[in-house]
Amino acid sequence: MPDLSWLFHLASLFPLDGMDLRFMQQALVALVLLAPMTAALGVQVVCYRMAFFSDAVGHSAFAGVAIGLILGVNPHISMPLFGLAVGIVIMFMQRFSALPSDTVIGVVFSAVVAAGLAVVSRNNTIARDLQQFLYGDILTMTETDICWLLVLFAIFVLFQIFAFNRLLYAGTSGIIARAHRVPVALFEYLFAALLALVVMFSVWGVGVLLVTAMLIVPAASARNLARSAGGMFWWAILVSLTSAVAGLALSVQPWMGTATGATIILVSCVWFVASVVVSSVRNERQG
Amino acid sequence: MEQNNDAAIVFDHVSVTRSGLSILDQVNATVPRGSCTVLIGPNGAGKTTLLLALLGEVGYRGSITLGGGRGLRIGYVPQKLALDRGMPFTVAEFLSMGVQKRPLWLGISRTAGKQALALLDMVHAAHLIRRRVGTLSGGEMQRVLLALALQQNPELLVLDEPSAGVDFEGGRLFCELLDDLRKSQGFTQIMVSHDLGMVAHHATCVICLKRRVIAQGPPDKVLNGDVLQALFGMHMGLICAQDHTHSMPGTSVAEPSSREHRHA
Repeated sequence: MPDLSWLFHLASLFPLDGMDLRFMQQALVALVLLAPMTAALGVQVVCYRMAFFSDAVGHSAFAGVAIGLILGVNPHISMPLFGLAVGIVIMFMQRFSALPSDTVIGVVFSAVVAAGLAVVSRNNTIARDLQQFLYGDILTMTETDICWLLVLFAIFVLFQIFAFNRLLYAGTSGIIARAHRVPVALFEYLFAALLALVVMFSVWGVGVLLVTAMLIVPAASARNLARSAGGMFWWAILVSLTSAVAGLALSVQPWMGTATGATIILVSCVWFVASVVVSSVRNERQG
Repeated sequence: MEQNNDAAIVFDHVSVTRSGLSILDQVNATVPRGSCTVLIGPNGAGKTTLLLALLGEVGYRGSITLGGGRGLRIGYVPQKLALDRGMPFTVAEFLSMGVQKRPLWLGISRTAGKQALALLDMVHAAHLIRRRVGTLSGGEMQRVLLALALQQNPELLVLDEPSAGVDFEGGRLFCELLDDLRKSQGFTQIMVSHDLGMVAHHATCVICLKRRVIAQGPPDKVLNGDVLQALFGMHMGLICAQDHTHSMPGTSVAEPSSREHRHA
């Protein structure tokens, strides 16, 4: 495993009480890697109307862990791989089935949640982990997880460089993009795969219930604040990063003592309210 | 069927069936190269379906042969865009996303920006460059979509009811613009239209479609009372029994079309 101590040393310089603790350093590094990914992919999720898709993938987390435990595979590996498989299956079914896409997602959603619950109901020892998946715990991120996050982050940056424009084209209109010789299907599958992996990592951080919020709230705020698609990308990242860091800092304060994931989402919701105000003031000035 | 070396598209026994319902039945038609070919017909006649089959979006039996093969450069202008109107997405970005290598979050490159402006200039809409796509009116959006299609430097331009949702004057200007562009760029144009007045003035070839091809050829030969009655029914046939060239666009001839709505 590569030596990440320099990264944690960098995190320890962050001016916040408790940053000398290793788990806090790991949490901060994990958040700083996750937040830009969920934010930028969130812009595309909003553009593609794929919130329900990411919700379904997030809810497959528990089944992924359960299957890992049955097969004797480390849940930290089985969970992202299972989420990836669920994402690809949904995309595949959407393409080759006559059913509306939300019906397809609804069916897969039900199947993975039921599979997870079925396994849990047989085996009570896993049930204790259920809470971690519902609420997430960024403070339990291991060093191995962070290594994988770094790999994912590198893939993410490459993808955003090469695919951003093409995805925007495909999101505007699949028919126009295909007629104009953009390989829409390829980019959609790559996007779904990357999104599924990022969603699964986010489940560790903020929990199943709040994964979609990590994607949607920064993008929704950015939609109100930005004046261009490129600007929306940066605004989403700014909102997401500041919310993640502020959420972590607030949640460990003795007077707060709240779950980190929930605190992060609450901060980003404050951003959203501010963005609504800014956008309505701006519209009034123009109108 | 007449085999023509100057054909841009040959539809040969094209049939489309969806959920057991026949939408297109043995369509044989030829689109001459360099022509402005217009598909007309009542609602549910399969006009849009034929265009989608041409674009490869709908499965069909039979064959569609493109002069120049499958590598033919196609520009497509849809009827309208289902776009989130609140999305911050500028016209300059819209016209750069297909050509610029650099991701748009690093800004628009100088060359892409210049090219976008030149394209907008071609469709007489250079003033729209700084606007947001969501704030464009129907007619403005249509021009921007046309600019996006022209960016392909198309050999074949496919338009689905470009005059829907645009006022009469706007529709006329748009058709004149298309005529000019077709002559200067030398592409073949195939479009769906409900506006018979427009068809009479601008089309060089008409395909009358009602699941099958009722008639095809130059408008002055095809747009007669018998054909229009077969296409649109009794009422239309009576109106058009008069010579169609005497009726101005937008008057009685076009009137039944104004009641028509977009079909899927």
